[in-house]
Amino acid sequence: MGYLNNAVITVDAILTTKGRELLARNDGSFRITQFALGDDEIDYTLYNPNHPSGSAYYGEAIDNMPLLEAFPSELQIMKYKLTTLPRGTAKLPVLDLGYAAITLKQGAQLSITPQTLNYLGNEQTFETSGYSVTIGDIRLLNTFVGQGIQSESAIQANQNATQTIGTSVSKTIIGTQVNLTATTVNTLFGANSQLRTTLTVTGLDSGARLTVPITITRQSLTS
Amino acid sequence: MAFKRLDPEDFVVSSDSVTSTVWSNNSPSLNTYFTSSTQTEGSSGPYYLSVYQTSSALDTAAVQFQIAYANKNGGGGVNFDSSVPFLSPTTTIYGQYRTLILEDENSNFIWGESSTGSADNAFYVISIERARYKQSLLPGTINLVLSSSNDDLQKLSLTDNSGMVTLPTYYGTQRIYQMISGSDGVAWNAASGGTGFTPNSGSYGWFCPDISTILLNVASLDDNTPTGGGINIQTVSGSDSFGNNPARLYNHISGSVGNTTGNVFELNSQETITSDYVFVRARNNEFNYTENPSFISGSTGEVIYPYFINNPQTFPTTVGMYNDSNDLLAVAKLSKPIQKDFTKEALVRVKLDF
Repeated sequence: MGYLNNAVITVDAILTTKGRELLARNDGSFRITQFALGDDEIDYTLYNPNHPSGSAYYGEAIDNMPLLEAFPSELQIMKYKLTTLPRGTAKLPVLDLGYAAITLKQGAQLSITPQTLNYLGNEQTFETSGYSVTIGDIRLLNTFVGQGIQSESAIQANQNATQTIGTSVSKTIIGTQVNLTATTVNTLFGANSQLRTTLTVTGLDSGARLTVPITITRQSLTS
Repeated sequence: MAFKRLDPEDFVVSSDSVTSTVWSNNSPSLNTYFTSSTQTEGSSGPYYLSVYQTSSALDTAAVQFQIAYANKNGGGGVNFDSSVPFLSPTTTIYGQYRTLILEDENSNFIWGESSTGSADNAFYVISIERARYKQSLLPGTINLVLSSSNDDLQKLSLTDNSGMVTLPTYYGTQRIYQMISGSDGVAWNAASGGTGFTPNSGSYGWFCPDISTILLNVASLDDNTPTGGGINIQTVSGSDSFGNNPARLYNHISGSVGNTTGNVFELNSQETITSDYVFVRARNNEFNYTENPSFISGSTGEVIYPYFINNPQTFPTTVGMYNDSNDLLAVAKLSKPIQKDFTKEALVRVKLDF
């Protein structure tokens, strides 16, 4: 007699928009090499360490919650990643970009140097593996370059960093410093005076994550 | 660390065979048959007859299969040009399947074993509509019951002989099973060592699963003798005349001639789905903290409950698959959160179908 091993959970994966783009590109960039776990929908304030029935019931409100199906947009899923930290960690790593929001005029340049607070006993530090920086819509930038990390994955990520196929797709680069230049293309604005997207920075060692909005204001540049 | 690299042994490729019925609405058998006068009177009429599961005037009507008649010498069809004999739509059909299956213009169709078969120059074709299946037909599932005009035979049940042979016959790259009298891939007289072939005309035809085609031996169906195993289909094979032969076979499939009850056409298709499985393993000391904003209080990064300092609890809901450049390529959602802490490990099998 054999029983099924129900300790293994089987789930079906869907491709993200970025995954479809890289699969279509057929240049070897669609190659799964690593994974991360996320808990986007979990509200930890529902966890009750004072539950009168004891510790088995602390997570009662979370344990059986219904989950939403996966979203294909890579910007809307895996927002909050689980991280591996030493037991006894009282403060979780937090990123500091120096900006709560970024506003650039057309063609303007900006350098960002992320720092991590509360990591490995340091109040403030730069992560050794660097930072992964994702722009939600690569069309909004003329240049988007990561510097300071020479690993194979960083070099690969930073190649063709601002290459766009003309559609609203995200782009991820790796570095300890990020240089970006706002777009000079007027037609992107249409009748609008501003364009907006988001910049998401993730510490590759700590897993700390921060998202800030980016606004590009129209200057009606002549080419 | 939020990302964990996958090892080569975490990837497994698996191929699974999925079967389903061929007919519309997932019906296991086809019992009603209709044709369209628009089709028969159109340009395709001399070549084949389309068969629907319901009246072709209805919105739900869908072609289930086509019937064609092939004749090497053009018999049963009107010549394309009166000055060029032996070339009619039936010749075109014959040449089409000879090239497709035999892959040799000098070969003949041999129904049954070469020692007992007859090299006939004519056959009927039942071609399953492409929209009805995904990859190929499933041997052993065909049961085609034809009505009979032979006074000595009420019905003729045809199937393939996949249940009686260990390997199919190959013509070029084509898998071929013989069409025999029987059901579910086994001859009616298999218990006594019989093959289900006709006594004089070899097998009833060929079952070609990879091109979703059934060829039926005209001589076996035309037979009208008491022991010949035929149904007296009365194929017209005269030169330069429209024999309307597809409609003759249609009449026996639909049961509109002979015994009109019990006609049925059962057939399944199969598809091989290749899936990549990725085994995602979270060790006991991994993924016990989260960047979820509700896990910390304020902007300083302090965990929300002092209890979490030594007993952090996380509830992963999503698995993200990344490339070396940290691009999120695929995501998988769990059906419910799994609790993770320093005393628990998690193993998730992610299935990738694309």
